[in-house]
Amino acid sequence: MIRAQGLTKTYGDRTAVNGIDFTVEPGRVTGFLGPNGAGKSTTMRMILGLDAPTKGSVTVDGHRYAASPAPLRAVGALLEAHAIHPGRSARDHLRWMAASNGIPTTRVGEVLEQVGLDTVAGQRAGRFSLGMGQRLGIASALLGDPPVVILDEPVNGLDPEGIRWVRRLAQQLADEGRTVFVSSHLMSEMALMADHLIVIGRGTILADCSMQQFMADHAASYVRVRAPQSTDVEALLVGRGLEVDRVDDELRVQGLAAPAVGELVGSHGLLLHELTLVRSSLEDAFMALTADSVEYHAKAADEIKAGRR
Amino acid sequence: MSAQTVEKNPATATRPAGLGLAMRAEWVKLWTVRSTWWTVLALVVLGAGLTTVICWGNADWLANDQEESPGSFITWGMMIAQVCAVIVGTLAVTSEYGTGMIRTTLAAVPGRGRVFLAKTVVVCGVLFVTGTVTALLGYVGGNYFLDREGIGMALEGDVARSMYGSGLYLAALGLFAMAVGFLVRHTAAAISIVLATVFVIGNMVMLIPGDLGVWITKLMPGNAASSLVAPVSFNPDALGAWTGFGVLLAEVGVLCALAWWLLDRRDA
Repeated sequence: MIRAQGLTKTYGDRTAVNGIDFTVEPGRVTGFLGPNGAGKSTTMRMILGLDAPTKGSVTVDGHRYAASPAPLRAVGALLEAHAIHPGRSARDHLRWMAASNGIPTTRVGEVLEQVGLDTVAGQRAGRFSLGMGQRLGIASALLGDPPVVILDEPVNGLDPEGIRWVRRLAQQLADEGRTVFVSSHLMSEMALMADHLIVIGRGTILADCSMQQFMADHAASYVRVRAPQSTDVEALLVGRGLEVDRVDDELRVQGLAAPAVGELVGSHGLLLHELTLVRSSLEDAFMALTADSVEYHAKAADEIKAGRR
Repeated sequence: MSAQTVEKNPATATRPAGLGLAMRAEWVKLWTVRSTWWTVLALVVLGAGLTTVICWGNADWLANDQEESPGSFITWGMMIAQVCAVIVGTLAVTSEYGTGMIRTTLAAVPGRGRVFLAKTVVVCGVLFVTGTVTALLGYVGGNYFLDREGIGMALEGDVARSMYGSGLYLAALGLFAMAVGFLVRHTAAAISIVLATVFVIGNMVMLIPGDLGVWITKLMPGNAASSLVAPVSFNPDALGAWTGFGVLLAEVGVLCALAWWLLDRRDA
């Protein structure tokens, strides 16, 4: 379990993480989602004792990370930007890590096989593709067979097969009762991987709930209705106290499930041409939630032109 | 073997937790990058080779000269070999900062002091052994030519001291480089600073007039131990062997304290 209390980090006058509280529970995959620059990596570095919090604290299973005599056995971490010497082979990289925490050398071969790098273990890490480097980082996270696994942007640079593998791995680690904390800036990825979601933007927690809860709260849905006698249908639905928006020739109905809408309309002898449940994507929900907290906005070309006028 | 040596030393139980493991990790790290092998090879070849070549080229006139002592030449190659020691020391630290690996290191061994100690002990140990062996090889090669001219030296007294003295000097210089590496965290900057201090500034301060210049010259880290590394120093003003080494260690010690303090406080 990871617990942050009032965790704050400031760099000069810039606040990267602003007094956040959260708990990452074991036995499930917790997604840590936020746009670039939201404070995800800073938070993860503070968990690992690499950056000192300006205020507040973060503990792993009740202890400060640095207090552990063999931290790699307690917490395994895949750090952003590989943090691997390019001149050292994958096997040697894992060998020194194992030596530093008294982990048996046999684990090196095991994790290399687990991440599928056993055939290239003797190659220098600098020759690895982004995806292979990512696999080596995951191997180093698994090396100490730790109860807590932290993966910072694990799917970066992975091919589709690799992405599915990471998803399954995260789920499997959680099923084994481990605490799994995975960061990403991709909502779509989180939706497939995480059971629980912590959303961060501009250093503050915007949401901390189960994935289902997040979808229910943030992914807006409505029933699209097209009917030849649309005015009558609209009057009927409004008469039942439902919220109806008319957009061109379609009606957007909220507050009633699609089958119920269909039955209601049918029971009054009106015809339907279309009846569809429309869910806005989680990506949209995430964008809406973090719209105000995005650090680096890209502008469309016409926006820029309009600004110059 | 007596029963006493087999018994576990109670002192090892109270040592900082995991220093041995951290040292083993640093040992693996040091020898699993090619730069270490190349630089150590260059250190041995340049150190022993240049001593041999210089003795071969100068033995002839040294045999008839009263001014210069062959003792100033028997470790000549170490002057060049020290560049390699600086590189080994610097890279052991700055290559980790350059690649971001320092974060992996500090995640694996969160005790910053333990990382500092493990790295310095391992690298200094390697440099001491390499330096001493290189000096001995240079002695064997160089003394062969001196012997032919009848000015060979026995491996005893000041000559013997200059052998392990060379090892000690390279270890201290490597430590100097590591401390600077931890301070500036950049390979090119660290190597430039150390080499400039030893070779450029160390010689330029001679230009300062009067006693002040003489003293500053004597005390510069690259010059302080010059009596330790050669049976007879080229510089007649140089500090005594062990006094000079003490001065060098004090200077390196101050830098190490500063580096340790900053390493402990800075974000990785």
